[in-house]
Amino acid sequence: MNHLPFEEWLLNETAVTPDQQRELDLHLRSCAHCSALFETGRMLHNTKLTAPVSGFTARFQTRLTAHKIAERRRKLLGAFLFTLGGLVLLMWLVGPYLASFFASPATWISVIVGWLVFLGTTLFALFDAGLVILSVIPNFLPPFAWMILLSMVAGVGLLWTVSIWRFVRAPQGV
Amino acid sequence: MNDENAWVLQAQQGDDDAFTQLVETYQKPVYNLCYRMLGEPEVAEDAAQETFLRAYQNLHRYDSSRPFGTWILSIAAHYCIDRLRKKKFSVFSIDAEDEDGMPFEVADPASPDPEVESVTKEDRDQLHILLKDLEPTDRAAVIMRYWYDYSEVEIAQSLKLTVSAVKSRLHRSRRALAGMWQKEMSRPHPERRSRESLAF
Repeated sequence: MNHLPFEEWLLNETAVTPDQQRELDLHLRSCAHCSALFETGRMLHNTKLTAPVSGFTARFQTRLTAHKIAERRRKLLGAFLFTLGGLVLLMWLVGPYLASFFASPATWISVIVGWLVFLGTTLFALFDAGLVILSVIPNFLPPFAWMILLSMVAGVGLLWTVSIWRFVRAPQGV
Repeated sequence: MNDENAWVLQAQQGDDDAFTQLVETYQKPVYNLCYRMLGEPEVAEDAAQETFLRAYQNLHRYDSSRPFGTWILSIAAHYCIDRLRKKKFSVFSIDAEDEDGMPFEVADPASPDPEVESVTKEDRDQLHILLKDLEPTDRAAVIMRYWYDYSEVEIAQSLKLTVSAVKSRLHRSRRALAGMWQKEMSRPHPERRSRESLAF
C-alpha cells in the first residue's frame, strides 16, 4: 500500500486542510501501518510527567551532604598520602647525608660536591652505555621485533592518554 | 533577572539553598525523564539524584545563555543513555507504579472523568512498555519531543546530534513504535477493551 503522503503528514505532524483530513481518515480506515502511527502519535501527545515520591529535595540534600563528606575525606586522605610519600622519599634520599649536615660546613659542602660529581659521572656513563646499546641492538633485533616493541610503546602511550582523558573530562551533557 | 537565573548565580557562588530551589523546581521533569528512560522508579530516583549531583559539581561549566532546564535535562539524558548502555537492562515494573511509596501520575485537572482518565493511563502504560524497545538515544529524543515539547533544534543541542539526525531518529522511532503497537494489537488479549481495536 502506498502510504505517501499520509505517513509524512503523520510523522511531521503537518497541519492539513479539511479535504486532506478526509483523505487521511479514509486512508487510516484501510491502512494498519498508518493507523498504528496515528494511534501511537495520539498516545505520545497524551503523555504526562511522572513525579518522584515526595521528599526528593530532602533526599538530595542528604546525598549532597554525604557526597561532600566523602569528597573531603578523599581529599584529606590524598593529601596525607601525598605528604607521607613525599616525606618518605625525601628521607630516603637525604637520610644518608643527614649526619653530614650537622657536621662542619666544609664536610657537607664536600659531600654535596661529591654527590653532584657522582650524579654527573653516572649520567654520563648511562648515556654512553645507552649509545653503545643503541648501536649494537639493531643488529640483533629483527625488524618485526622492532615493530612489536614500538607498537607496545605506542599502545602504552595511548592507554596513558586515554586514562588521563577519561579522568579529567566532564560528564557528558554538562 | 528572573528567579531561576538568580538561583543559578547564587548557587555558582556556593549558595546551597539556591541550588535546593533549582532541585525543587526541576525535580519532576528530571525524574520523569529518568523514569521514562530507565523504566524503574528506584533506578530513576537514583539517576535523578545523580543528575542533580553532577549539575552541582559542574555548575561552573553552565552557560547562562542556555536555559537551565535544557542543560539539566541534557545531563539527565546523557547519564541515562550511559547507564543503559553499561547495564543493558530495561526491566519495567508497571504494576508497582501506583503502590505505596511508588511514584504517581500527577492528576490532570482537565480530565475529571475517571473513565477517560483510566483509558489515558492505559495508553501511558502501553507507551511506557513500547518505549523500552527503542535504542537509548532514540528514546531520549522521543521523550524530549513529546514529554517536554522540545524542538528538533533543542533536542539536537541537548543530545549533541545534528538536526537532521534528530529528525531521522524521531521518524525511525515513530515507525518502530507503530510497528510494536501493531504487533501488540495483533496478539490475543481477552481482557482488551473494545476501544483498543485498530478500527477508527
